[in-house]
Amino acid sequence: MAPELDTRQLNAFIDGELDLHSQLEIEARLVHDAGLRTQVEALRGLRQVVMRHADYHAAPAALRARIEALGAPPASAPAPTPRGPSAWPAAVQRWFAWRPLVASFGVLAVLTVALNLALLQSGRDEALGQEVIASHVRATLTQHLVDVASSDHHTVKPWLSARLDFSPPVPELNLPGSTFLGGRVDYLDGRPVAVLVYRQGAHIVNSFVWPGAGDSRIAFVSQRGFHLAHWSRGGMTHWVVSDVSPDEFATVVHAIDHADESH
Amino acid sequence: MTESDDLRRFEILVIPHLDAAYNLARWLTRNDQDAQDVVQDASMRAMRYFGGFRGDQARAWWLQIVRHTCYAWLKENRPAEVVAFDDGEDAWRELAAPAADEPHAIAVRNADRAQINQAIAALPIAYREVLVLRELEDLPYKDIARIADIPVGTVMSRLARARGLLRQALLHGARPVLRTVARSTPGGVK
Repeated sequence: MAPELDTRQLNAFIDGELDLHSQLEIEARLVHDAGLRTQVEALRGLRQVVMRHADYHAAPAALRARIEALGAPPASAPAPTPRGPSAWPAAVQRWFAWRPLVASFGVLAVLTVALNLALLQSGRDEALGQEVIASHVRATLTQHLVDVASSDHHTVKPWLSARLDFSPPVPELNLPGSTFLGGRVDYLDGRPVAVLVYRQGAHIVNSFVWPGAGDSRIAFVSQRGFHLAHWSRGGMTHWVVSDVSPDEFATVVHAIDHADESH
Repeated sequence: MTESDDLRRFEILVIPHLDAAYNLARWLTRNDQDAQDVVQDASMRAMRYFGGFRGDQARAWWLQIVRHTCYAWLKENRPAEVVAFDDGEDAWRELAAPAADEPHAIAVRNADRAQINQAIAALPIAYREVLVLRELEDLPYKDIARIADIPVGTVMSRLARARGLLRQALLHGARPVLRTVARSTPGGVK
């Protein structure tokens, strides 16, 4: 006779928080033990009821605006009020004579920084592209495509949210020949990211998502026979990789981008 | 550059989890205005504490600050609600395992929105917070442990007890006679 289970364990069981061994053991017991089954169902029922009906208090718009303002860069110093040149002492007027030159130095400095940033960014994108391909290949080789296998995005989204510090969009693609296989968590760009896995025809498509600032249009690259696309929107950075044909790849990428929009 | 780094961090770490922050503060203070004040205060603290953020689990880190701010606020404004909480290792044992009879399960399942909100709001704060973080934010135990500053084992016991108490409250609420719970709610918590 198996030992009596206490409510703590049952609660941890329905939360999926027991170690794998105990988790499987209880699942096996559930098959035969009707009393235990009722208890587990009662607990799950209660959890469902709370999740479905308890108020979720989203931040009011006014609060959000106030806090976003906290995070806004401080307003730049107010421009000096224009005055007639005669109001200025001679030294200041002489300084102002240098102004065009100073301004051109300023512009040059800004351009140099921008160019450096652009080069840095493209170097970063290339490195990231390598990481994305590596993850795709690893997952395909080891046949470990998904941690949570489900064609239902309502199952996959909470699973991912519970394991990440953000809630990734999990779009359903309404494309012919496309199947949603599920999701997994991977480590990319120095942080845990969500990976959504689709099958397009005979090919696997991996779609990576993590929070990132800025907005950028979709950029397509091909490396070593893989097609890559990346873009940022709505606070999320997306990278998609696959070895499908370029045409199909573009279709899938746009479907992911548009589905994301409607979520 | 540090200032703009901080602003960027603020955008990435704090803003995306503003709903979670407000939801937690709202359930802990049980009042809209107080929750807004707390979240705003917590945001300013977060900006000061970016140095202490080690780059993992932004949401847990940020909710930890929100919770801490809530407690500080409650201690000052409603000290009675945050008396040192000692639930003992075995408090969860006092509640029977979920009764395995169908009518009870149905009563719980049929509880309506108002009943559920009342029942959660009436839970002692230490149980309320783990329940809200688990059921409404869907956080794993280790994150809840970090946010509530308790060991994972305590998360387990408190959650078991929170659900037990909630279940009891819903069963009573389902009966025609509404008791103390009903009296204290209409005006909101003062």
